[in-house]
Amino acid sequence: MNARPRNDPTVLATVGVLWLGVGLFVLYPLAMLLLRAFLAEGQLSQGPLFAMLGERIHRQSLLNSLILATLVGGIGTALGFVFALAATRCELSAPARGALDALAFLPLISPPFTTSIAIIFSFGPRGLITHDLLGLTGTSAYGLPTTLLSEVLTYFPLAYLTLKPVLAGIDPNLEDMAASLRAGGWRIFRTVTLPLCIPGFANAFLLLFAASLADFATPLILAGSNFPVLPTQAYLQITGLFDFKGGAVLSFVLLVPAMVVYLLQRWWVARGHYVTVTGKVGPRALSRPLPTAARIPLLAVCSALAVVIAYFYALLFYASVVKAFGADHSFTLAHYRVIFTEGLKAIRDTLIIAGIGMPLGGLFGVVVGYLVTRKRFPGRHALEMTVMLNYALPGTIVGIGYLIAFNDPPIVLTGTAAIIVACYVFRYAPTGVRATIAQLQQIDPSLEEASTGMGAGSFETFRRVTLPLVLPAFFAGLGVMFVRSLTAISATIFLISIGWTLITVRILENMTELALGPAAAFSVLVVAMVFAVTGLIALLLRRLRAPGTMALAGSMGG
Amino acid sequence: MLARRTLIGAGLGLAAFAALPAQAQQTLNAYSIWPENWARPMLEAFEKQSGIKVNFLRFSSGEALARVIAEKGNPRIDVLFGGPVETFAAGVKEDVFQPHKPPAFGELAARFKDAGGMWTAIADDPLVFMTNSKFLADNKLQAPQSWNDLLHPAYKNMLQMADARTSGTAVTRIFSILEVNGRDEAKAFDFMKRMRPSIQLYTKSGGGGTLPVGLGQAGGGIFFIVDALDTKAKGYDVQISFPKEGIGTAAEGIALIKGAKNPEAGKKLIDWATSPAMQTLFAAHKINFVPAHPKVATEPSLAAVLKDAKIFPIDDAYAGPNRKRVVERWVNEILPGG
Repeated sequence: MNARPRNDPTVLATVGVLWLGVGLFVLYPLAMLLLRAFLAEGQLSQGPLFAMLGERIHRQSLLNSLILATLVGGIGTALGFVFALAATRCELSAPARGALDALAFLPLISPPFTTSIAIIFSFGPRGLITHDLLGLTGTSAYGLPTTLLSEVLTYFPLAYLTLKPVLAGIDPNLEDMAASLRAGGWRIFRTVTLPLCIPGFANAFLLLFAASLADFATPLILAGSNFPVLPTQAYLQITGLFDFKGGAVLSFVLLVPAMVVYLLQRWWVARGHYVTVTGKVGPRALSRPLPTAARIPLLAVCSALAVVIAYFYALLFYASVVKAFGADHSFTLAHYRVIFTEGLKAIRDTLIIAGIGMPLGGLFGVVVGYLVTRKRFPGRHALEMTVMLNYALPGTIVGIGYLIAFNDPPIVLTGTAAIIVACYVFRYAPTGVRATIAQLQQIDPSLEEASTGMGAGSFETFRRVTLPLVLPAFFAGLGVMFVRSLTAISATIFLISIGWTLITVRILENMTELALGPAAAFSVLVVAMVFAVTGLIALLLRRLRAPGTMALAGSMGG
Repeated sequence: MLARRTLIGAGLGLAAFAALPAQAQQTLNAYSIWPENWARPMLEAFEKQSGIKVNFLRFSSGEALARVIAEKGNPRIDVLFGGPVETFAAGVKEDVFQPHKPPAFGELAARFKDAGGMWTAIADDPLVFMTNSKFLADNKLQAPQSWNDLLHPAYKNMLQMADARTSGTAVTRIFSILEVNGRDEAKAFDFMKRMRPSIQLYTKSGGGGTLPVGLGQAGGGIFFIVDALDTKAKGYDVQISFPKEGIGTAAEGIALIKGAKNPEAGKKLIDWATSPAMQTLFAAHKINFVPAHPKVATEPSLAAVLKDAKIFPIDDAYAGPNRKRVVERWVNEILPGG
């Protein structure tokens, strides 16, 4: 029996197809974007860059974006850590931990600007909180503080989901050893626990930094005119003035910090802080619970945040069932009638696009993940890096790149559903790639080698041995594709057309008009649908007895 | 082998899906600049009357125009529906329309049509000041009666109005300020600079600030009357006033896109929208546009609001050629603030 051929034709053919897709939908748009930004009269030049950065508003926007992203990263990571400590070290009952998870999940699966609606009601000169509750005057609902609050609430769950496994994974023996050396609780925490979390902190911070850097919808609604940020400016430059060049240049400026963050994050992850999560080290002691004195402030912070989140979502729901929030609070279902009649097309389009994107993205994730972990072929690392590119870049860049690349021949895709599907697949399937890689790294390759050794082809082996093993990752990929198809906006807002529109775009449109009720009703619908589908997937995963929920939730970043 | 086939098959499926043809029924594609809640009843009435199916997507006027310009090589729509005259004048300059003179053309006042038939008006929409009553009472102010009233310190960081990059409301506002300053750009921009500290937020849509003003999160702003009266009708306690120096009104237009794929259906919509058939529907749907057609009476309560106001039309012959430059100047000088 021959050994497995080094360059299996099936593998090579699949790799070829993948490169074709990646080349077309990742590299080509990015190249077109850069060309558009730096080609002046047929010559490459950095003139346009200096021209755009010469304008004060753009320099100010860049600075503001970095300030905002840093603050969101820092505060969000701190909050996420508090939540993670509460979940792992406070001996909470299972229902309490479940509530904590559900609460952290809520902002993640909502359209990114849903908290903005509630914030407009709550702060400012007539805000429910600042005015009615606290009696403050002269406050503003717009600017850095409210934008920061909204983004922290939206993105801190990413930090929580990143830090929870890190904390849970710390070998309790380390802490126990420190205790047996008579170190006090605080000292153990400071000198053992915290240092072990540092890579997790870095990872969480960078995730949040990137998420904030890419978010344009929250600042569009909340930042106000005195705190412009870059993604919003790039969006307005393109959609308002149709200044492709200006928009391309601004998104290039955004690309630099995004790439730095992405490379930093890879570097941290490569340092291998997940090694303690193998779970293969025999019976383990339970994690060290925190002393009561430390638990009280922790749980207080968590409860406070829980109340805030619950309050915001309650407000959102309330706005969806009253006639005109702030003026006429009589009950009505009119807004739901509106979204199921006038908004029906958006709902249908969104679900169709999600329906096509899910299997494609899920398959893409598993196939790429499998190939890069299990097969040797030329350009393997290059493929892995390139696949992650659209995931790492702010959506504004991806969307503008697609618009520039596919608006004119040779490849015209604007106006079709295909461009939106392609955008979702190549932007969000990489989370499935990651999940697959993580899953496969826990499976001994000898299983597959046994199969090929007995004469099965590489496809046969993939289907009969590997596929069942990576199913959890596949479903996690499906879940992420679905959630993102229903909630993402930063890239796809550039790609909607007369034929194909999306719920998120409708929400934003409604919010920038007067139609707050329908915006709230749409948001409630999205949350409900996402909860239903992710719940279903979680159930399936439990059937498969695989710890995939974490992969699903934890890969929601970017 | 199957894996690859699946991938390819999926790819083909995707391509076939993208190429799904439009339905057999006669259809028409449009970008609407009017918000959905006003455009939809109008277009549905047209569908019922003509049997033509209308697909439409709503954009702010700047966004809609930008899309039409970008799609010039391969137009995706047949009709640009609604939106202030300056948008249409700019579109004429960009050569994105083709002429069509509807039956009502001869009856319309000169300012309600392009002489060459490139666009025709379907309504008239004056700008107004809209202020929150409670805000006024708290600051012991009257509803503003002059442009200069908006410079009162009480308005600092309390006004919301539209962003000129995306919104025709904003462009109409800027041309109003130019007009009351005798088209002296230096003077007009100086006024806007002095008003800038009062601006809390420049909104993407023209009506974007109405809700915050209604809620009292902003003190006031400058809006089209149709948005302002809608806010009031929803129950928010706001006041509508007009500056004594005068304020602009913008004809709301409709135009046939050059290279439209369904020109006949498009012409039918234009004929219908410029006639009393559509404009008599405004009152029934509580849409506070002033009809452009002379045979349609303005709804009495709307007429009462407008009775003593000094309103002047935005001159498209002046606004069209200057729009781009003025917006750019606004972006560079006013938007960044002090």
